[in-house]
Amino acid sequence: MFLVTTGGMIGIILGGLLIVIILWYIGVMNSLRQLELKVQEAESGIDVALTKRFDMLTKMLQTTKGYAKHETETLEKVVKWRSGIPADATLKDKEEFFGQMNKVAQGINVVVEKYPDLKANTVFIELQSAIANTEEHLQAARRLYNANVTRINTIIVTFPKSIVANAIHMERKAYFEAEESKREDVKMEF
Amino acid sequence: MEKNNLIIFNQNKKAAEKNIIIGGIGLAIGIVVFALSYMNSVVPTLVIGVIIAVVGLVFFIKGSSSFSSLNKRFKKDVLSKMFKELIPDIEYRPDYGLNEGTVYETDFLKRADRFHSEDYLEGKIEDVEFVSSDVKLEERHVQHTKNGTRTYYVTYFLGRVFRFAFNKEFIGSLQVLESDRPKSRGYKRVKLESIDFNKKFKTYATEDITAFYILTPDIMEAIFNLEKRHPGRIGLSFHGEHLYVTINNNKDTFEIKLFREIDDSMIREFEKDLLVIKDFIMTLKLNNNLFKKK
Repeated sequence: MFLVTTGGMIGIILGGLLIVIILWYIGVMNSLRQLELKVQEAESGIDVALTKRFDMLTKMLQTTKGYAKHETETLEKVVKWRSGIPADATLKDKEEFFGQMNKVAQGINVVVEKYPDLKANTVFIELQSAIANTEEHLQAARRLYNANVTRINTIIVTFPKSIVANAIHMERKAYFEAEESKREDVKMEF
Repeated sequence: MEKNNLIIFNQNKKAAEKNIIIGGIGLAIGIVVFALSYMNSVVPTLVIGVIIAVVGLVFFIKGSSSFSSLNKRFKKDVLSKMFKELIPDIEYRPDYGLNEGTVYETDFLKRADRFHSEDYLEGKIEDVEFVSSDVKLEERHVQHTKNGTRTYYVTYFLGRVFRFAFNKEFIGSLQVLESDRPKSRGYKRVKLESIDFNKKFKTYATEDITAFYILTPDIMEAIFNLEKRHPGRIGLSFHGEHLYVTINNNKDTFEIKLFREIDDSMIREFEKDLLVIKDFIMTLKLNNNLFKKK
């Protein structure tokens, strides 16, 4: 029969506690890393949706050019990156790009109102529908990104998990903001 | 609906109910007389008891059978016409139902040991195709007792199953469930932004983005409102080009009730049950241009 002294018992308890803490630390660290990956994935989803929307709006501008050359050229100038989103673009840049595209879409709506025959153009109608679809994809990507950001930020600011977040230098992530008024303006009517 | 028609149906219904009551009373008296005579070993009253019980049983069967055929005739003559007036592009087949394959395509209803479906509806509302029927799913239970084994069936789903055309293109599959879980593998739980929605429904998707794409804030609110309007446990499954909706409300729809007159309130109830289909199509905006097939 083994006899464990009081000191030995304390040692076993402390050892056990240490193992539990280490396992907990690893668990939290892994979940933070996984969530960070999800945030990155969601951000690339936003990039894809923004690019898709940009392509659609470009096509739309080409269609409207024949009807209102001056207006569409003015609209084209609004867009900062005429060749799409640069690889090193920050989230703020993307928000700005998003805003610019909203302006273009609003502009197109104004042009359409001026030229009723454009409204009846089949290519235009199809593009309008495609743009509305890309808009929905973009909103979904934005919401997924923000939902993931909320999850990771909740862990980062909540004690005791915040200790692990600080230890691995995990910082709060920024939300992808879209002004409500801007989103309302680009709604395509059918 | 013609008043005369309704009066005739009510008269026939009353006759059938009368037979059921007489049969029931006769059966009860017969059994009591038989039991008392058996205990006191009085043979003549024992025979009388058997005769009363048999006559009661005959009345009961006759009443039940005429009630059942009256129900069928009511569905064929009255409900079919009424449904056509409310939804012109509809076909109603009371004796037919959704097949098992279609029901299990929901991918969250457990396979039943005993399957029954009826009251099949098929048609189009605002160019949105739909099919629906009443479905009853039962599970077999075996109980071992000292006298042997007893087999009985427990109903775990009684309600309606709908399938709508859903033309919005998306990746993978999505389920929004009040109870149950997806039957196939590959689904992950998705938490949406709405805390209330997450509390009421469990959302499962094979791709996170699909959940956010289909369940826009408007659609989440619409599902919430539909759940409030239609009591019972609701399940939605978006799969392929279809949206499956199930309502497990322990209700067999489009059936006339025993000992309840066929009146305007009952007719309105049938109308309401039919228009559930329209409610889903309009509230979930399935008729949206964006959703239509090109």
